[in-house]
Amino acid sequence: MPLSEERIARWARQLLVPGLGEAAQERFAAARVRVVGAGGVAGAALAYLAEAGVGTIWIDDPENVAPADAGAWLYPPSAVGSPRVAAAQAALEGLSRFAAVDPYPTGGVPSAALVCAPSVAQALAAAEQSRRARIPHVVVEVDADGGGIVAVPPGAPCYACARSTDSAGRPPAPGAAAVGALAAGELLLLLAEPTRTEGRKIDVVRGVASARPTARLPGCACGAASAGP
Amino acid sequence: MSHATKSALVIGAGGLGGPALLTLAAAGVGRLVLVDDDAVETSNLNRQPLFGEADVGRRKAAAAAERVAALHPAVRVEALDRRFDAADAEDLVRSVDVLVDGSDNFPTKFLANDAAARARRPLVHGGVLRTTAQLLTVVPGGLGGCLRCLFEAPPSEGDVPSCAQAGVLGTVAGFAGVLMGAEALRVLAGERGAYEGRLFTFEARSGRSRVVPVRRRVGCPSCAGVQPLQPSRAVPREVTSSRPGGGA
Amino acid sequence: MTPAARIDVRPFACPLTYVKARIALDRLASGQVLEVWLAGGEPLENLPRSAAEDGHRVVSVEALGGEAPGAWRVLLEKGRGVEPCR
Repeated sequence: MPLSEERIARWARQLLVPGLGEAAQERFAAARVRVVGAGGVAGAALAYLAEAGVGTIWIDDPENVAPADAGAWLYPPSAVGSPRVAAAQAALEGLSRFAAVDPYPTGGVPSAALVCAPSVAQALAAAEQSRRARIPHVVVEVDADGGGIVAVPPGAPCYACARSTDSAGRPPAPGAAAVGALAAGELLLLLAEPTRTEGRKIDVVRGVASARPTARLPGCACGAASAGP
Repeated sequence: MSHATKSALVIGAGGLGGPALLTLAAAGVGRLVLVDDDAVETSNLNRQPLFGEADVGRRKAAAAAERVAALHPAVRVEALDRRFDAADAEDLVRSVDVLVDGSDNFPTKFLANDAAARARRPLVHGGVLRTTAQLLTVVPGGLGGCLRCLFEAPPSEGDVPSCAQAGVLGTVAGFAGVLMGAEALRVLAGERGAYEGRLFTFEARSGRSRVVPVRRRVGCPSCAGVQPLQPSRAVPREVTSSRPGGGA
Repeated sequence: MTPAARIDVRPFACPLTYVKARIALDRLASGQVLEVWLAGGEPLENLPRSAAEDGHRVVSVEALGGEAPGAWRVLLEKGRGVEPCR
């Protein structure tokens, strides 16, 4: 379906980017993105997904806005104590009326996922669910020096193969939102190029980013011929 | 380390300046001055997280200050609804501890570069074009070079970026803007900047990154603090950023 | 060379002029030609250059004259090996 005049005007800047265009913008609008974790750097990631024209954002986070979340892009201090989903909905719908923002529905079938989970265990679980569902997904890690982003198109090496193992537990660096923004960008690139099969990891250390392809660890289930339920 | 006694001047409250402001405010920088002479347009909304649908038509400086204050009530935000211009650039920069340049055109970027050197303040320079981000930090009296060491002069009058170059992926601007804010925080803390004497560029589609050394050019008038300030011109339409000279 | 499609971007301001042309070009196959009617001044200075930068070939630029005074007709051939958006 061709883009409306309104959408063309809204996303004119994006439509001019090489590799993005009408088809990519339509894919963003049709996407149902499950975002796991809405605290911390998820704020920046959510803001950019909404601003880029993602049509449906499902927020998978049962927690309330914590004092540490306040001021992190989406949540004013007055939102502390209220459910993250509700506060995020209010903030995101203000950024883009083209984004439908809802709690992740039971039985919902996302077409992509962005994982900003607060623990490694949750991140691994959400990534594994996405892998089995064969949807493109991006996992965000933050640490004291910056963080990392693992992009997993369907069939690529999984998050468990690619993740950093040495950074858990330290408080995030002030530039952590940069990792969130870039992670949203990685997901947009995956949505724009559905035939892409290469995964990659971007490490951000002290303000400098570098990317490399991900590689499968020997024996990982993600290398099996069929990804069963 | 507390930044409550520190101040920063941010040029532009859009794709780069917005994320930089949020980063500085979140770290508790006590006083933020933002300069922007524009109004919010619909096509800004793909990449400028301080502004929402309801802000279209509003003056950016006021809307940005309001949004930052709502998220961070403890930070003092001064909004200057005008162009960063040669007339008072040096005084403005001298009144803060660090200059963060989120402007979207070459003349302003060179003015920021020259004014910071004259005022002997550190500058965090950033730019975004399509899917490429670039960052450079210039510290007064440092060994690293400045924008004029790198580019010598802004492109000539007739060299306006084409429409094709006006494309920007919002996340790349956000990435660059937050990194600019984080770099400013390092500089305020007295740490060595990650981009001091090093131009960092990152192209988001290929994932290619480069770090290019930028050495002080012998005889550079800007580094010596004696470059006369050239007026920044009003840009006829919204243009997004500088063209990376050595970028990916 | 018969254009496969024609658009009139005179009502729009830059950069929307080129956005429209880009979308129209995206819908064509490599080698097909798009005819664009545009205003002189900024659109005329910018649009052909932008198309060339994006890998398309500027076949011709001519003033329309009698048909539409002040307007220009630009023929663009969609490039081969241009980034696919599909």
